[in-house]
Amino acid sequence: MDTQDQEEQAPLFRKWSTWYALVIGFLLLMILFFYFLTKHFA
Amino acid sequence: MSLADWIVLILTLLGMIAYGLYKGQTSRDLDGYFLANRAVPWYMVLLGIMGTQASAVTFLSAPGQAYTDGMRFVQYYFGLPLAMVVLCITFVPAFHRLKVYTAYEFLEQRFDLKTRTLTSFLFLLQRGLSTGISISAPALILSSILGWDILWTNIFMGGLVIIYTVTGGAKAVAYTQQLQLIIIFGGMFIAGYMVIHRLPEGVGLSEALHIGGKAGKVNIITNGVSAKGFDWNDRYNLFSGVIGGFFLALSYFGTDQSQVGRYLTARSITESRLGLLMNGLVKVPMQFLILLLGVLVFAFYQFNKEPVFFNQSQVEVLSKSKYKDSLVMLERSYNEIEARRINVITPSTEHQLQQMATTKAGYKATIKRWLRDKEVGGDDNDTNYIFLRFVLDYLPKGLIGLLIAVIFLAAWGSIAATLNSLASCTIVDFHKRFSRPLTDEKEFRLSRLYTFFWGVFCVVAAQLAYNLGNSLIEAVNVLGSLFYGVILGVFLVAFYRKKVGGTAVFISALIVEAGVIILNILSRKGIVPLSFLWFNLVGAVGVVLLAELIQRLFYSSKVNTVRP
Repeated sequence: MDTQDQEEQAPLFRKWSTWYALVIGFLLLMILFFYFLTKHFA
Repeated sequence: MSLADWIVLILTLLGMIAYGLYKGQTSRDLDGYFLANRAVPWYMVLLGIMGTQASAVTFLSAPGQAYTDGMRFVQYYFGLPLAMVVLCITFVPAFHRLKVYTAYEFLEQRFDLKTRTLTSFLFLLQRGLSTGISISAPALILSSILGWDILWTNIFMGGLVIIYTVTGGAKAVAYTQQLQLIIIFGGMFIAGYMVIHRLPEGVGLSEALHIGGKAGKVNIITNGVSAKGFDWNDRYNLFSGVIGGFFLALSYFGTDQSQVGRYLTARSITESRLGLLMNGLVKVPMQFLILLLGVLVFAFYQFNKEPVFFNQSQVEVLSKSKYKDSLVMLERSYNEIEARRINVITPSTEHQLQQMATTKAGYKATIKRWLRDKEVGGDDNDTNYIFLRFVLDYLPKGLIGLLIAVIFLAAWGSIAATLNSLASCTIVDFHKRFSRPLTDEKEFRLSRLYTFFWGVFCVVAAQLAYNLGNSLIEAVNVLGSLFYGVILGVFLVAFYRKKVGGTAVFISALIVEAGVIILNILSRKGIVPLSFLWFNLVGAVGVVLLAELIQRLFYSSKVNTVRP
């Protein structure tokens, strides 16, 4: 990580890693939701 | 189309051009023309990224894809959010820190001139041709279904956008994409509402999903595993979507200048990252909703007469061929079955309906077989015409014009960003790099000239490509997958294999690119059962491994590098 990068703090959360976790977590939730829909309407 | 539709269509398109010209006031240098003075906020970066990726075929073909093949196409986007995270960690800080205009500039600083030139050339080749397809695909569909002349449709689809893109550069592209997406989403939302509104009383969204589900259209998650094991040729399943889709998205958003150019316009690293991460959050649900529209249209046609072939122009082709008598008989039988089917649609007659569906599928297959006859020379692909046929047959006046405008605007958003990026690579990676220093004014004028040149090139390419077969949305993706993996491999070596030098990565890129093209030929001939999504993985991993091997075997490990 360079200096400029360290200076730019993530908005809303303290760390960018929280944003990354949010995006990945949301994807997993979507896949689970789609799996449920697939089973329910099959 | 009615007069009201024409008025809505023309006013929307002229309004968009005027808005692009008005908002495209920029400083007369490369920073202003290609990067909008690096002053764009995150939400405009997001809309720019989405508008660039979502071309007209996204909105035309995706509902048809769900109608015929089900919703499993959404899995193709599962790798995208993961790619957004990797981009934010690695690519975005590197590009911003070095203040590059193009992604390939970074490669010269990390490797050498020949690697930069090769990757930029591959981009120009691939993106120039695929933009031709992006223009010809919707133009072909509109000209076919509305009876418009293909040449003029191509010119309106790809030519009008040149006006504001040449004049206003990246700033005009960013502002128009914002407005275009608002109109597109509005139009698609109204279309979805109208489908549900036109379903019979007592049939709502849930019932429509049950109808689609019974026909196998709500197959959102599939694993690609059959009795014979995992099917590597299966295009859309959870594994190809997450893994293949990840490499495709990483390559597309990380190394394709049409996308890199969007988030380089951001006012800071934070704004770039937010735009990309928001794209990771909204892209999958957005694609899901577009596919859902296809399932709703499918449910709608369970209560209404479904055309034997949605592309009526091809039925007319058959009516003038040696199959004309057979066609009359087939249509008569088909219409009888449709009339009976609509009358008996109740749960108790499920078995009967299934039998009718099988017979109908047989008739449709016969039509396709006739169209494939070399003597007839027709187009047997009906998927791209399903949604538009529904719009024309069942939506009210005015709304039809709006949805035709949506198709134009979706095409324009994607084409404008591409023309801007093709021009930026041409001037920054080639003209400026290989000529004497130029003044800001001269660079600005040349940039406009190159934008105009690429606009004309893409329209000509569209005209040449308009007879392309197979599903058009997939043709664009297949073409991308031939080059994306290799370009991504070069960038991955740049970021993660710091001891590998320019010559090793250059040689490996050439070898692996040849390998991917051969693999594609073998795949198309059925010799190697491998879907195109996997080419991205093969290309990227192939370049990384081969470059590492060549470096270790033939070159010293001392390499000049910039810190990624």
